[in-house]
Amino acid sequence: MLTEVKNQIKVNILSTKYALEREMLNKVTFVSNIIFMILNNASFIVQWVILYAIKDNIGGYSFKQVLLLWGLAAMGYGVSRFFFKNAFNLSDMINTGKLDNYLVQPKNVLLAAITSDVEVSALGDILYAYIILLIYGLSLKSFLLFTLFGITAGFILASVSVIFSSLAFWFGRVEVISNTLNSIMTNFATYPEGIFKGIIKILFYTILPLGFASYLPVQIMTNFNIYNLLVVIFIVLLFIGLAFLTFYKGLRKYSSTNLMNARV
Amino acid sequence: MAVITVKDLSKNFKVKVKEKGLKGSIKSIIKPKYNIIKAVKNISFSIEKGEMVAFIGPNGAGKSTSIKMMTGILFPDKGEIDVLGLNPEKDRRKLAYSIGCVFGQKEQLWTHLTPYDNFKFFGAIYDIPEKQVEKKIDEFRELFELDEFINTPVRNLSLGQRIRCEIVASLIHEPKVLFLDEPTIGLDPVVKEKIRTLIKRMNKEYKTTVILTSHDVSDIEKLCKRVIIVNKGQIVLDDTMENLKYHYLNKKIIDAKMKEKVNLEDKDGITILKDKDYNLKLEVDLKKTSISEAINLLNTDNIIDINISNVPLEQIISSIYKDGDK
Repeated sequence: MLTEVKNQIKVNILSTKYALEREMLNKVTFVSNIIFMILNNASFIVQWVILYAIKDNIGGYSFKQVLLLWGLAAMGYGVSRFFFKNAFNLSDMINTGKLDNYLVQPKNVLLAAITSDVEVSALGDILYAYIILLIYGLSLKSFLLFTLFGITAGFILASVSVIFSSLAFWFGRVEVISNTLNSIMTNFATYPEGIFKGIIKILFYTILPLGFASYLPVQIMTNFNIYNLLVVIFIVLLFIGLAFLTFYKGLRKYSSTNLMNARV
Repeated sequence: MAVITVKDLSKNFKVKVKEKGLKGSIKSIIKPKYNIIKAVKNISFSIEKGEMVAFIGPNGAGKSTSIKMMTGILFPDKGEIDVLGLNPEKDRRKLAYSIGCVFGQKEQLWTHLTPYDNFKFFGAIYDIPEKQVEKKIDEFRELFELDEFINTPVRNLSLGQRIRCEIVASLIHEPKVLFLDEPTIGLDPVVKEKIRTLIKRMNKEYKTTVILTSHDVSDIEKLCKRVIIVNKGQIVLDDTMENLKYHYLNKKIIDAKMKEKVNLEDKDGITILKDKDYNLKLEVDLKKTSISEAINLLNTDNIIDINISNVPLEQIISSIYKDGDK
């Protein structure tokens, strides 16, 4: 069992490494993608600087907390898009029969499929996230917690995308739905929790679990609470489990295609 | 010993039906209609160890669907499949260690990597220790003549070289059964011949059971001793290549160049395929008449040149496809 897990991780790391090597073939594009993503993210912070010049508290968050929120959002986005890029293209892979190659290999189909490509600009998000952490205040504790919550947020975003994209097994083209929900998760992750009320807040702690990807981690980082930390970890594991369950349930309905495709 | 046993296998696909135009599109959203396509209908067969079997049929006959069910890609609706004592539906991962697949239309290799690095990646997928993979690569290097391009990125290889590498990648874990789905698609005749020789050599050296689908009759004729023809989801013929030729090659084609124009009409057992100027082409059904009788009709003194040949296997196979359509 342990060897099996070790081998599975080895193959997924190799896959990510090869995909990164492919992206690095074009040096200029590779570097510019990363730099422009950092600049793009930085430009959004400007609006918050202006807002906090007028008001000290927005939605219950101080400027430092908003910084942290941005950092975690960028980290979660970066981790999910860099390591699991195809979790966000999964419905297309299902509809165009691109799972065939992974199905004839003795490895986990879902992991093989979602780790088979990387989003280079996501490296820019990860770098940007650590720059924000530096501004926020770097300590061993903040570094470890920030890294942990970046990873858990990445897992949550990827898992939610897998769950919605897997609906393609039953309903065919669900790209619009999954892309919209992924965008909601990404965009709302940068706003203070206090501005959301009622049903939206309920959504963020249920089917669109932003609360566990961003808001609760910000709370834990500003006011450490082991109970909340365990809740985040439990929710991450729950969503990972749900993602595998939905995908494998749907896989029975996979119909493949004879479209020509290549691994480029 | 049978390595593959298929019993009463069926698979249906639900396909949305849409009427013409925008109106049809709106209708299909409000009240969608579906058609059930019976892709595979109750097929049964078994394949012995070391056999090279052609699994052929016209487009949409159900051959790829059947192969995909045997490899665990698709789940059957009904029936039983046993591949190497395993059920592909339940033991997909376990089975994957013992089978290899080459889909001519679907590339498995990383194009920016060299074949060597690709083979090592496939070694990792199948949990083979590095030293063993290197040994295997050296072995295949010679057998598949890879030396010239083993360190060139796949994207810079010719299609023939790439297919050779695809086959090697699928053999790195020494599969007992190899599924080749149109491995020679798009290749020139010289490269096709080379791939065929390599497949033959591989079958001989490693006793690998090969299931081949191809639209190229030469692939089938040169590689396989047994043919399974599928049409409209059903097996219409399961026989040895020898029997296929023996039973269906009871027709001969006579091409003759004449001194003077001969006025011939169709006769029992003799069909005129072409009659242009001084050239004649006849099809002779040996069950009803003989070659000498056909030649006598032409008058031997009037013949400048004559050629008697078998009906091409391609024609035989397409007539079986057509019979299945009726």
